[in-house]
Amino acid sequence: MRTKAALATSPTLIAGLSLIVIGVSALESATNDTITAVDGISVGHFTLGERPTGCTVIVADGDGAVGGVSQRGGAPGTRETDLLDPLNMVEKVNAIVLAGGSAFGLDAASGAVKWLEEHNMGYDVRIAKVPIVPAAILFDLPVGGNPKIRPTADCGYRAAQAASTNPVPEGSVGAGAGATVGKLGGPGKAIKSGLGSAALRMPNGLIVAAIVAVNAVGDIIDPSTGRVVAGVRADDGSFADARKILRSGALARPRAGENTTIGVVATNAKLTKAQASRMALMADDGFARAIVPSHTNGDGDTVFALATGRWSGDADITLVGALAAEVMADAIVRAGTQATGIPGLPAARDLKK
Amino acid sequence: MIDGLFAGTKSVIAVATIASALNAAAQTIPNTTLTAIRGVTVGHATMPGRPTGCTAILVASGAVAAVAQRGAAPATRDTALLRIGSPIDRVDGISLAGGSAFGLDAASGVVHWIDEHVVGDRRSLPPIVPGAALIDLWVGGKPQIRPDADCGYRAAGAASSRPVEEGSVGAGAGATVGKMRGRDGAMKAGIGSTVIELPDGLQVGAIVAVNALGDVIDPRSGRVVAGIRNADGSLADARKLLRSGEGSMPARAGENTTIGVIVTNARLTKTEAARVATMADDGYARAIVPIHTTADGDTVFALATGTWDGAVDVTRIGALAADAMSDAIVRAATQATGAAGIPAVRDLRK
Repeated sequence: MRTKAALATSPTLIAGLSLIVIGVSALESATNDTITAVDGISVGHFTLGERPTGCTVIVADGDGAVGGVSQRGGAPGTRETDLLDPLNMVEKVNAIVLAGGSAFGLDAASGAVKWLEEHNMGYDVRIAKVPIVPAAILFDLPVGGNPKIRPTADCGYRAAQAASTNPVPEGSVGAGAGATVGKLGGPGKAIKSGLGSAALRMPNGLIVAAIVAVNAVGDIIDPSTGRVVAGVRADDGSFADARKILRSGALARPRAGENTTIGVVATNAKLTKAQASRMALMADDGFARAIVPSHTNGDGDTVFALATGRWSGDADITLVGALAAEVMADAIVRAGTQATGIPGLPAARDLKK
Repeated sequence: MIDGLFAGTKSVIAVATIASALNAAAQTIPNTTLTAIRGVTVGHATMPGRPTGCTAILVASGAVAAVAQRGAAPATRDTALLRIGSPIDRVDGISLAGGSAFGLDAASGVVHWIDEHVVGDRRSLPPIVPGAALIDLWVGGKPQIRPDADCGYRAAGAASSRPVEEGSVGAGAGATVGKMRGRDGAMKAGIGSTVIELPDGLQVGAIVAVNALGDVIDPRSGRVVAGIRNADGSLADARKLLRSGEGSMPARAGENTTIGVIVTNARLTKTEAARVATMADDGYARAIVPIHTTADGDTVFALATGTWDGAVDVTRIGALAADAMSDAIVRAATQATGAAGIPAVRDLRK
């Protein structure tokens, strides 16, 4: 059961928080099927009021979670990804920031760093605790009005402040507020998408979950059926199917500056940093399965992995990675189905009416 | 099975004569495999004594090349020179082989064949032949039988522009899939090849030997093509096992690895070829579940022959490469024949 749509367009933090409080009491008996099902992970969004864009902060509580990254899109906007190389020293990250606003949106990470320092979270260098906050952005500047409106450090601070272990609000919120997909049919054929989250729980206690803001050149495909969930619109309001367009040779050249899918997978398993990198790499296969095409030169696709280590079971990394790919694909499909349209850019749910 | 005809053939003239005779016979059937691309020839050599072998993909006039190496247990040769930053920007061929790391010897045979048979100004000196091997030592007993340099030499000698023979031949002879619960539920797979040709003349083709831990999935329908079998012989579906927590998955290195090649006739830079390899790897992700595991050494090479002069859009070529690769993977399963007590898709249907 998910009642997050109510939060989708909350313009202010205070309104959002009060809705969350109402939402929580209604949801207490329901299972949390989002990334906050992972013990040690909390998530907060902040959505700007002036234009559909925003940011999302995924906080790893306590002294952080072991991190990894897979960066395979051709046009990335990222911060602190070198630190996540398994050859490098720091193992744990305190938060991941996902934001709209193109490279400008990387400022949101600075706001999350400020909030984390105020809460005494970070890598201890004795004279300070330095919050480790890798981040990635997506390109939503052409969507819904003034491109000068972008997530700032203040956005990141407020999103971190809003972080909770409640089920994550999905749809056109936070980093997914300005996200769109289906841009291979040329101008005017795209469709609104957003942010999705999903969790898989194993009987032995292992949990693997994902959150993702889907802003792809390509279409969202449900890999369990091969059907288009959200993508290039045909003139009759149905889906044209990017795969068919591609094979016919009629593909429009994607424009850099309009795309990029960014996400995080998290597990309660105990992983080494190299294993967290493998988890991120395999989670990226969820991008490949649920977005066609993905990893293009017009996409900056990036996936982070977090292992909180709160579960003491024996985790096989191939199993964790394979589940990460599955749950990432689930989250991408939800980003397509949970989105809400804006004028001129309908969402999948609008087409079905 | 016409590979045998060419075993040991050392004269390029003899090969060309037989190949042209066969081409004449095959002219009514369109070539839907990698060799539809001008300048690309493919030859298999399958070992006697155990299902294993090797496949040589030759580009007689050279090709710009790159690689995507994302499986965790690879066996490769000359991938370092394919990195952006290495000054080498063309290859003469690619060697795919069974036999685990031993099978890398096949590339040496391909190098020697090119050295002896291809005119000097049309090739690199020494010939550049990156290679990758898959791990099939457990199939059919006699793990000491492995593709060697002679196998590579014979595969290169057998290379022709005829439609690529698919199924359980060459590098795919010992390939299996569906091993997430171990060897007992496995199915036989092999080697598959496809080509996509667009109206403007762009061609993107794939060849792949599929020896995955995971199941082969048809991404158009989401259905399992070949994979883990239940005790009653039905397909269990690795995705269901994973999600139910039954994917116990002991890390069995030494049983897996999918290796393939994409070729396009577009004119690409090495950096663009690298993007095509990265995107072709998405074809692995779509058609094999799970993929890129710690027990797979998955590797994809991307080659650009540059014989087509059209405008390059690397996103289009990369997206077609992913599509061609997933189609070739599905064919590797459907064209396979059972061996060593391991059934193939066509056996299950009986």
